[in-house]
Amino acid sequence: MPSPLTILYIFLGITIVLLVLILLRPSLTMSIGGRILALVAFVALPILCGVWGLSEHFERSKQTSFCLSCHIMEPYGRSLFVDDLTHIPAAHFQNHRIPADEACYTCHTDYAMYGAIGVKLHGLRHVYVQYLGTPMNPIHLYDPFNNRECLHCHAGARSFENEIHTPMMDQLKSNQLSCISSGCHDTVHNLDTLNKFKQWRPTE
Amino acid sequence: MRRDKNGFPHTLRLSGVLLVMGLCTEAGSLFWVHPIAFIVFFVVGGALLGAGVLLFLYPLVLLSSSPDSHDSEARETLRRPNSQA
Repeated sequence: MPSPLTILYIFLGITIVLLVLILLRPSLTMSIGGRILALVAFVALPILCGVWGLSEHFERSKQTSFCLSCHIMEPYGRSLFVDDLTHIPAAHFQNHRIPADEACYTCHTDYAMYGAIGVKLHGLRHVYVQYLGTPMNPIHLYDPFNNRECLHCHAGARSFENEIHTPMMDQLKSNQLSCISSGCHDTVHNLDTLNKFKQWRPTE
Repeated sequence: MRRDKNGFPHTLRLSGVLLVMGLCTEAGSLFWVHPIAFIVFFVVGGALLGAGVLLFLYPLVLLSSSPDSHDSEARETLRRPNSQA
């Protein structure tokens, strides 16, 4: 079964061939069938390919390799491979508690209605700042990390809802107490100490 | 409406060329996993595709508007797509 991307390439190829054919042989459009073919080639297929391509780009923007393709993100990528599991991102990434190929997106998306769209708009802002503005140094989140993103997976889990977390659940849900900056799980992407740790190398 | 030597309206030819350029741009951008590829896809490819589709639909819009000299021309274009100007 060909992948959706392969099918998209086939559609793009068919559309281009049809367009070139009509441009080289305009007499094809003399019949009713030819006019319908022209409508399909000039309107329907380009719109289909455009929407499908946009969807494909949205999907690939979730990939870890996409996020790490910018130079400024390189140390954050290295922090996923720190050989010390007190580092929250490393522990999640290395133990596949999150999909390894969508590691950044899984924790840094917004699990609210229309959250994915807001995250994409943030992404466009990143690109604007990277190429037309001045990136923050060091970079940091636009807004404080929301506990909702942690609780999206952890809430309801037996290992999470224990005697430590249960009494403070209301504070966690209302963000009065932060999971990562209240002293409990505060070792995150600590770039300052990154070089003090060995790097984990996954076996092939 | 101006036509080329084969009787094909210039706007349709331009529309086809824009669409082919847009589709090639979009296909090329899909080979690269990078934010710039998304921008190229969305801004360059999207603009070319949008312009191509709108340029193709332009004579149809002319046809449905009130009758004047341009409409007559558009009707003539769509009635005899392969005729000489």
